[in-house]
Amino acid sequence: MDLRQQILRHRKDNRVIGGGMLLLLIVCSIFYYLLLRGRGLPAEMASDKLLLFVLWYINIILILAILFVLVRSVFRLILERHHRILGSKFKTKLVLTSIALSLIPVLILFPFATRLLLESFDQWFALPVEEVVSQAADTADALSRQIESTNLRDAHRVLRELAEFDIEDLDQRPGLQHRLQELREELQLHYLAIYDGTEPIHGTADPLSGFQRAPSFRGLSPFLLEAAEKGEAIHLEDSLDIDGRLILAAVATQRPAPTVDEGEEEAELPPEPEHTVVVAGTVLPPDIAEKSESLVLAYQSYLRLAVERVDLRAAYLLNLLMVTLLVVLAFSSIGLRLARRITEPIQALADGTRRISSGDLDHRVEVAVDDELGVLVNAFNQMTQELKRNKELVDTQNRQLTHTNKRIAAVLQNVAAGVLSISAEDKILTCNGAALEILGQRAEDVIGHQTDEAWADPERAKLASLLAEDFTIGGQLNHQLNITIGAVWKTLEVKVTTLPGSDGQAMGGRVVVLEDLTELIYAQKMATWNEVARRIAHEIKNPLTPIRLTAERLLRKYRQNDPSLGPMLEEGVEIIVREVSSLKNMVDEFSRFARMPRPQPQEVDMEQMSREILALYKDLKPGVEVRGCIDDQARTVRFDREQLKSVLINLLDNAIEATDAPGEVSLTTRPYNGSVRLNVSDTGRGVSTEDKEKLFLPYYSTKGRGTGLGLAIVHRIVSDHNAAIHIEDNHPRGSVFSLDIPL
Amino acid sequence: MRLHSTVIRTLGALVGLFLAFATLAQARAEPRVSELQLKVEESQVQVSFQLDDAFTEDFLRRVESGVPTGFVFDFQLVRDRKSWFDSSVDSGRLQVDAMYNAVTREYLINYRHDGDLVESRVVRELDELQQAMTEFSGYTVFAIEGKAARQRLRVRVRAVLGTRMFLFFIPRTQSTDWVESPRFQIQDPDSGP
Repeated sequence: MDLRQQILRHRKDNRVIGGGMLLLLIVCSIFYYLLLRGRGLPAEMASDKLLLFVLWYINIILILAILFVLVRSVFRLILERHHRILGSKFKTKLVLTSIALSLIPVLILFPFATRLLLESFDQWFALPVEEVVSQAADTADALSRQIESTNLRDAHRVLRELAEFDIEDLDQRPGLQHRLQELREELQLHYLAIYDGTEPIHGTADPLSGFQRAPSFRGLSPFLLEAAEKGEAIHLEDSLDIDGRLILAAVATQRPAPTVDEGEEEAELPPEPEHTVVVAGTVLPPDIAEKSESLVLAYQSYLRLAVERVDLRAAYLLNLLMVTLLVVLAFSSIGLRLARRITEPIQALADGTRRISSGDLDHRVEVAVDDELGVLVNAFNQMTQELKRNKELVDTQNRQLTHTNKRIAAVLQNVAAGVLSISAEDKILTCNGAALEILGQRAEDVIGHQTDEAWADPERAKLASLLAEDFTIGGQLNHQLNITIGAVWKTLEVKVTTLPGSDGQAMGGRVVVLEDLTELIYAQKMATWNEVARRIAHEIKNPLTPIRLTAERLLRKYRQNDPSLGPMLEEGVEIIVREVSSLKNMVDEFSRFARMPRPQPQEVDMEQMSREILALYKDLKPGVEVRGCIDDQARTVRFDREQLKSVLINLLDNAIEATDAPGEVSLTTRPYNGSVRLNVSDTGRGVSTEDKEKLFLPYYSTKGRGTGLGLAIVHRIVSDHNAAIHIEDNHPRGSVFSLDIPL
Repeated sequence: MRLHSTVIRTLGALVGLFLAFATLAQARAEPRVSELQLKVEESQVQVSFQLDDAFTEDFLRRVESGVPTGFVFDFQLVRDRKSWFDSSVDSGRLQVDAMYNAVTREYLINYRHDGDLVESRVVRELDELQQAMTEFSGYTVFAIEGKAARQRLRVRVRAVLGTRMFLFFIPRTQSTDWVESPRFQIQDPDSGP
C-alpha cells in the first residue's frame, strides 16, 4: 500500500485529523514562542501570550470544524433535495431543528455569559478592591518604612555618640565596643555595628532577636558603599542567619584623610576619604515579616493582573468562546448524528422499497440500528424475504397454471363440445375450435367482441339473448336451442355456468358449453321411431293375429261347408270387431300423444292441488297410505294446471299400483337449487336400473298392459315446461319420481 | 464696541482651546531618543543619549507589578551614503530590563548587550530607576576596525518600547524613530601626525 492509499484510507480518521491538528498546534506554538522571545518579550509574558495563542488556535479550529460540519451538512441536504432523494425533506427538518436547538440556546446565553464574565472580571479591578489591596500593601510598607526611619534616626544618634571615639585607635576599641553594646540596649536595636568603610570594626546583636550566631553580612558591601556615597542607606535582608527580616539602616560620616608623614614618598594620588559607617538593624518577627511580605506580594500580583488585564480578559473570553464552540460543535454533531441515525434507515428503507418495486427481491436493508427503526428494518427484510418466497411460489404456480392452461386449451380444442368464456361485460374471451365450428364463425370474428356484436344475426342472436338472461351467481342453465346456421338447422344444448367475481358477489363471467345435438337427436328420433314402429307393429300384430286366425278358420269352415259355420261366424266376427276396436283405441291414444296441446303456464297452488288429487286416492287400495306434505317455501309453481294434474295422476297411479299393502305413497314439495322439487315416492317394488333408462320412452311398459305412453306423456309435459324429471330408488324400498320445476 | 469685545473674547476662547489641545498633545508626546552624542576613542564608539517620554505611568505600573519590563535600544553603524543600498556597517542591541522586588523595594536593572549580561544594578528610587533606564552616557557600542575606519560614518539609535499584540496574539513591535548622530570619521592611526 503506497502513501497515497494510506492517506486516502486515513483521511477521515478522526484520530489522524486530531493528531494532525495537535502537531500543527505544537509546531505553531514553538514557532510563536521563538518569535516572541526574538522580539525581546520576557519568558513569563511570552508564556502568557502563548496561552492566548493556543486558545486562539483551538477556537479557530473549533470554528472551522463547526463551519465545516454545518456547511457540509447543508450542502449535502441541498444536493439530496436537488436530486429528490427520498427522506431528504425529513432529514432537512431534523438537521435544521438540531442545529437550531444547539445554536439558539448558545446564541442566547453567550452574550449574557460574556457580559456576566466581563462584569465579574471588572469587579476584580474595581476601585474598592484596588484600594483595599493597595492600602494593605501600603500598611505593610509603612511598618517597614517606620522601622527604617527609626533605625536611621538611631544610627545617626549612635554616630554622634561615637564621635568621641577614634575607631582607628586600637586602644579605644574595648570602650567603643562597650559603648556600642550600651547604645544597642538603650535604643532597643537588634543589631548595631560600626564599619570602617566596608570593614567591620565592632558589632553587637541581641541574642533574643533570633540571631543564631554572629551576623556575617557578606553581601553588605554595596549597601555600605551606598551609605558612604550618599550618607545613608537602607537595606532589607532576608538572611539565613535569622528568622524574620532584618531591616538595616546605615549612616556614614567622612573622616578626615590621614596626614602624610614627612619623608614618606608622596603618593601619586591623593588618599581616598575614609568613612565611619554605623549600621542599625531591627529584626521584623517572622510572622509579621511573612504577613507583610504576603500583603506586598499580593498587591504586586494584583498589579500584575492589572497589567495583564487585557490578556486575561481575552483569555477568559477565549475560554468561554472555546467552551461555547465546543458545546455548539458537540450538539451540532450529536444533532447531525441523531438525524443521520434516524434518516439513514428511512432512506435505506425507501431505497429498498424502490429496488424491490423494480423487482430486486434479493435486496436487503443493511442498517445496524437496535431501536424501533431496527425492528422496522428487520420487518422490512422479512417482508422482502416473504415476498421473494411468495413470488417464487406464484411463479411456480403460474408455470403450472400455464402448463395446465395449455393442456386445457389443448383439451378444449379437441373436445367435441364448444366452450366459450365470456366476461361479466359480455365480451367473448376464449372460444375453442368446436364452438367456432358449431357457430360457423372464425376466431377473429368472435374472440374479443361483445356477444351481441359477434352474434348479431337473428339466428345467433338467440344465443346472445339467452346469455342476456339474469343468472344466479354460481347457477347453471341448460337450454336446448334450435338455430339455423348457414341454412343448416341445428339443435344445440347450451349449458351456461356463471362464475363469481373477485368479491364473491357480482358475476365474474360465464362459461358457455355448446353441444351440437342435431345428429344425436336425429339418431334418437330415428331410434325412437324405430322402437315406436316396432311396438306399433307389435301392437297391431297382436290383434291382427286373432283376426287372421279367425278369418282363416271361417274360410276353412266355409270350404268344408261345416254346419257350425254360422255360430262360428258370429263368434269370429265378434272377435274381429273386438280386435279392430282395440286397434282403434291404440291409434286414438297415439294420436292423442302426437297432438299434445301447447301448455298454458299459470301459478298453481300445490297445497290445493295435492289436496284435490290425494282425495281421489284416499282408501283406494287398502293398506296403502297416501299422504301429502307441501313446504311453505315450495307451495307455488308455474305450470299448466291440467297438465300438472295429469302428470301427478299418472305418477300416483303407477306408485299405488306398484305398492303392496302395507305401504305408503307420498306427494311432497321442497325448494331445490332455485326450483321446486316435487317428489312422488312409494314403498313398492321399485324399478330396475335397466328399466329406469327406458321408462320414459313411448310404448314401454313394465306392467304388460296399457299403451306404454303414460310416462312418455309425463316426460313430454315436463320437457315442455323446461322442467326435468328423473327416477331414483327410495330407501329402504320403492321408487321416487323427482320433478324439478323452475321458479 | 460691544462687538469688538465679543470678537476678542471669542478669539481668546479659541486661543485657550488651542493651547489646551496643544497641552494635551504635549502630554501625549511620543517617546523619542534625544541628546544623541558621540565620542570616539581609540576606535571605540561611545554614545550618550536619553529616551524621553517613555517612562509613563503604564510603564511604571508594569515595572511595579514585578514583570520584567524594559527597553531595547538598537544601534546601527552606517556609512554616510544615503543613496547606497548597503550602508550598514555594524549593529548592536542593548536590552535594559527592570524587575521590581516589592519586598525589599529594590529595582534590579539588567543590561544585556547583544544578549550578554554586561551589568546589573540595584536602585531603590524611581528617579534612579528612570535615569538608569533612559539616560546613557559614554556607552561603548562599536569597535571600528578595518576599511570602515576610513569611511565617514554615522550612528543610528532607536528604542524598541515593547511589543503590542494585535488580536491579543499577533506581535507588533513599537519603537521610536531612528535618530542619527552627526557623521564622523576615525583618524587613520597610520596617518597620524
